[in-house]
Parts: sequence; C-alpha cells; structure tokens
Amino acid sequence: MNGLLTTFQQALQLLLAGDQELWTIVFLSFSVSLKAIIITTPLALLLAFALTHGKFAGIRIILTFINSLQAVPTVVIGLFLYVLLSRQGPFGDLRLLFTQTAMVVGQMLLCFPILVALGYAAIKTVDRRVWETARTLGAPVWFSMLTVLYEVRFGLVAAVLTSFGRVISEVGISMMVGGNIMGYTRNITTAIALETSKGEFAQGIALGLVLLTLAFLLSVLLSYLQGSKEFSR
Amino acid sequence: MKEPLFLFRGINKTFAESQVLLNVDISLCQGNCILLSGKNGTGKSTLLKIIAGLEIPDVAEIVISGKSESWKKTITEVRKAIIYLHQQPLLFSGTVEANIAYGLRFTSLNIKQRSESVKTALAWAGLTKLAKQQANTLSGGVQQRVAFTRAWILKPKVLLLDEPMANMDHESRIQACNLLLRMKSAGMSIVITSHVLQYFDGLADQHFKLKHGRLETAKVSKKKESPAA
Repeated sequence: MNGLLTTFQQALQLLLAGDQELWTIVFLSFSVSLKAIIITTPLALLLAFALTHGKFAGIRIILTFINSLQAVPTVVIGLFLYVLLSRQGPFGDLRLLFTQTAMVVGQMLLCFPILVALGYAAIKTVDRRVWETARTLGAPVWFSMLTVLYEVRFGLVAAVLTSFGRVISEVGISMMVGGNIMGYTRNITTAIALETSKGEFAQGIALGLVLLTLAFLLSVLLSYLQGSKEFSR
Repeated sequence: MKEPLFLFRGINKTFAESQVLLNVDISLCQGNCILLSGKNGTGKSTLLKIIAGLEIPDVAEIVISGKSESWKKTITEVRKAIIYLHQQPLLFSGTVEANIAYGLRFTSLNIKQRSESVKTALAWAGLTKLAKQQANTLSGGVQQRVAFTRAWILKPKVLLLDEPMANMDHESRIQACNLLLRMKSAGMSIVITSHVLQYFDGLADQHFKLKHGRLETAKVSKKKESPAA
C-alpha cells in the first residue's frame, strides 16, 4: 500500500514539476489525435449527411458496413496499416511507417466510422423541412447543408468529443505503426505500456492521470451538452 | 388573364405505382391567387413541392414567355423566383430577426441594406417588438407570420403556401390573411392549399380541386373584397 502511495506521489510530482519528457509525450498525443479528428470530421460529416439526405441505392449496406467497422479492434487497424506501409507493402515507398503521419492515418481510420455513425444518428433527428426551407429561401446546397448541421450542432460536438476520447486513448494503432519512439512517436498510451513493462510505474500513472482527467472533462462536457435543451433537437 | 410568369404543364408524379398527379397544368400569373383544395393525400403538397423544385416530377414542362422547356432543365432558374412555405412553419434556431434575414445573404444586398430591409420587414409584419426573441419559442400563429415575412422580404414572384391556416386560431388566421392580401396587392403570385376555405374569400382569384390526380375548376367565392379586419 505504501509503495502504491509513493508511486502516486512521484507521479503527481512529475506532472506538477513540468517534467519535460512527460509533457512532450502528452503534447504529442494531443497533437496526433487532434490532427486525426480535424481531418476526419468534415469527411465523416459529409458522408453522414449524404446518408441521411441522399436518395441512392445501398445506403443501408453502407451503414451496416460503417457500424461493423466500429467494432474492429485497434490492433487490427494497426496491423492492416502496418502491412500497407511496410517496405514490401503497396505504400512502402512513402516511408511512413513509424512516423506521426502513420499514427494520424491510423487514428483517422479508427474515428471515421464512429464519427459517421454518431453524425448520422444526430443528423437523422433534424427535420427534413430544415433542408427544404433553406433551399427554398435561396441557400445554395453547401449552405443548406451547413444550416442542417447547425441545427444539430450540440449532437455533432458530442460526436466529435466521443471520437476524440476514443482516438487519444487507443494503443494498438500507435504501438504498431508509431513504434513508440521517444520524442517522436511515443504517446500517452504507448508510454504507459512501456513504463509498466519496465516496472516504472510513476510516469505511467502520471500519464494515466492525464488521460483520466481528459476522460472526466469530456464526460462533463458531454453531460452538459446532453442536458442542454437544444441537444435534443 | 395576364401573361403567366410560369406555366407548369403536364405534371405527372407517381409514388409506389400510385399516380398522384396526372397531366396537371397550372398557370402562375402576377398578382393572382390560386386556391387548391382536395382531400388529404390527393397530392396538393406534392404539386406545390414540384413547382418549388423540392420534389422531382416523373414528367413536367415549364413554359416561360411562350417558350417550353423540360422541368429538369429549367427548374434551377425558376426556383429562384419561388418560395414554398410548409404547413407547419419551420423556423431555424435563432432570433426572429435572424430568421427573417436568412435568405438576404444570398442576394446582392450589402450588410447595411440587409439590416434596413429586416427592419422594414419587421415593421411591415408588426413583429418589431419580437425581433430579438428566439423564434422557436413563439406561438404557432406568430411563427407563421415570421415565415411569411421571411418569404416576403425576398420579394419572390411566386409564393406557395401549404395549408397556411392549419394550427392557427381565428385571430391569427385573419392576421395571416391580411398579410397575404398585401403580398398579392404587391404583385406576388400566390398558390394556397387549404381545407379552411372561407378565409380566402376575396383573396383567391381561382379555385381548383385536386381529384384523382387532376385539377378541377371549382367555384370562387368573392364575398370579401377588402382585407379582413
């Protein structure tokens, strides 16, 4: 028990003392995951919008496929990407394996189906008349789309927050295509895995506290959005 | 009868093998008001949505200045002059003012001109005091007035109203009719679908019944010639 308390104290000291190594890892994690979310969100919302407002064959098949992709384990996505990016793979010449770009791409693959599915569920709740009214008042297609998305903005923000929480806490993709290189591709989750395997718990717990704090903050924000009157729109 | 702004000819529409509209012709003239009636599900809303470019017909033509083109080819241009209002007015989240200003951003007006137009429109509809209120918190009748004003401010040539008097009390209906009369006097072509026909005495110039997919001419009542008080 004493050992655990001491480790916990050391973890807090690392965090509060502004340990450079630790904060580099935290910064890298946020940087990679934010990039993945920022790039993926517009693409995913575009597809979600097309699925809710489009009239084309195969919508149900696409939705089923998207829903299935949400269940794919991160190590499988990591493995798939590893094969594609390895020297013998089709994209080997790009030399992206064990880079932050590979981690961003992997996390994009992870959050894309989540964002599409949650975005679809949110946009589906918007009254069809919003689109028709925007169009009849002269709005071009892209602005009408923005109007629809604005009407369900709280639901979409919740979708983005949920996806962010998912990508920043994943370990399989980062470990396989990032390679856990200190100062370059080591993020919170791969660092925790490494430090724990070495028996160095203090840094692992410190990083774990960062993730827990983030999870808590995201939950508070989500609860706030869910509780807000307009979320139900 | 004046030269029509738009003549929609030979409109056909089928839903799940059921022929909803069968060779329907409808002529929209400046300052003219058409009242459309018919039982539920006879295709009144579908007809209005086809005219507004919100529903695709199986076949239809649009005649402008004597020149006939297919609906598909012409509707993108034609729809710019037409505004369709739903049975239940749909107001965007935001204030009354923001709702009324919505369509102005797609016109050539600058910000100052837009602001002036919104002020004029609010005064026109008697909504000035409600300008800063959240639109979705208003009563059904006032929401309908906001929707009328949002359309009026864009000065469309044609206004299509789908059951505008539904879910309104007597007073709101009279207020709405007064606004419509002023719109008609300003030269707007208006098409109204409604079950509540008595409110449109003096407003409607033509009355058609939609029956078995076809338009049948019905009697127009001209009891009131001046705006309802």
